[in-house]
Amino acid sequence: MARQLIGLWFMSALLALAANSLRPDGIAWVGDWSPEARIGGNSGGSRVISLEESAERFETGDAIFVDARSAAEYEAGHIQGAISFPWQDFDAVFESVFPLLPEDRPLIVYCDGEACSLSKDLVQALAELGFSNARVLVNGWSVWRAHGLPIEGGGGE
Amino acid sequence: MTAGMTFSDSDKRGGGNIHWVRAGLRVLFGVVFVTASIDKIANPAAFAEVIFNYQILPDAWVNLAAIGLPWLELVIGLAVIAGIWLPGALLWGNLLLAAFIGVLVFNISRGLNIDCGCFHAAAGDADPAEMWWTVIRDAALLSVGLYLSWTASAAEN
Repeated sequence: MARQLIGLWFMSALLALAANSLRPDGIAWVGDWSPEARIGGNSGGSRVISLEESAERFETGDAIFVDARSAAEYEAGHIQGAISFPWQDFDAVFESVFPLLPEDRPLIVYCDGEACSLSKDLVQALAELGFSNARVLVNGWSVWRAHGLPIEGGGGE
Repeated sequence: MTAGMTFSDSDKRGGGNIHWVRAGLRVLFGVVFVTASIDKIANPAAFAEVIFNYQILPDAWVNLAAIGLPWLELVIGLAVIAGIWLPGALLWGNLLLAAFIGVLVFNISRGLNIDCGCFHAAAGDADPAEMWWTVIRDAALLSVGLYLSWTASAAEN
C-alpha cells in the first residue's frame, strides 16, 4: 500500500514538474501573495493604502470610503461615512452609486479579510472607468474596527 | 464448502450485478477526479487564486499546491478507472476528499466565503448554503470511495 501511495504521488509530481516547466504559462513555484503584489496597479504602482494614511485622510475628510461588501454587511456596520458599493451587485447598483463618486478625490475601497478580493476587483473596475485615485485598504473593515476608528451602522461586531 | 471461498467468488455465486455496480462506481469515482483535474491543470494561476482564497496554506505553499494537486487528482482518477494500484489510488482519493471536506467545514464555521476570500458577517447570506452543498456532494463521493476501498481490500484478502 505504501509503495502504491508513494508511486502515485511520485508520478503526479513528475508530471506536474514537467508540465509547469515546459508550458509557456507556467506559474512561479513560489508566488508573491502579498497585498501589494495582488493589488498592483497597471502603471506598476501599488493600489494599496495603509491604515495610517487612510485614518489621516478620514480626519482631513478629503477621501471617500467605499464599502465593497454586500448591502447586508454594510447595514450591519461600516466605516463612518462610507458609501455602499457591493462588488457582487456591481451592475445592479452602478447607476445609483456612480454619481456619488467624485473623480477628483481619493477613493478608499475596503472589504473584510486579508484575502478578500471584493475591494481589489472594485478598485480595478473603478480604475478602468477613470478613477485613478481608487486604492484598497486591505482587510479594511477588520483593521479599522480593531484600531477603534469611527464606524456606524447596526451591530458592528 | 464456503470456508475457503474468497469474497470475489461469493460475488460470482451471488450474481454478477454487484460486480457491475462496483465497476460503475469505480469508473464514476475516477471520472469525477479526472474531470475535476482538467480545468485546474489548464488554469494553474486561477486555481492558485482559489487555494489562496481558502486561507489555509501558508502563502509560500499556494503555488506548489496549485501546480501539484491537479496532477495528483488526474493520476488518482486514471488509476481508479483502470483498476491499477487500486487500494493506493482509492486511499489517496479518500484522503483528498476528507481534506476538502474538512477545509470547507472549517471555512464555513469561520464565515469565510471562498469565492472572494472574504469574511461575511451578515446573517442570511446564501454563500454558506452553496458551500454546504459542496460538502454534501464531497461526502457522498467519499462514501463511495470508502465502499470501494473496503471491497478492494476484501478482494485482496
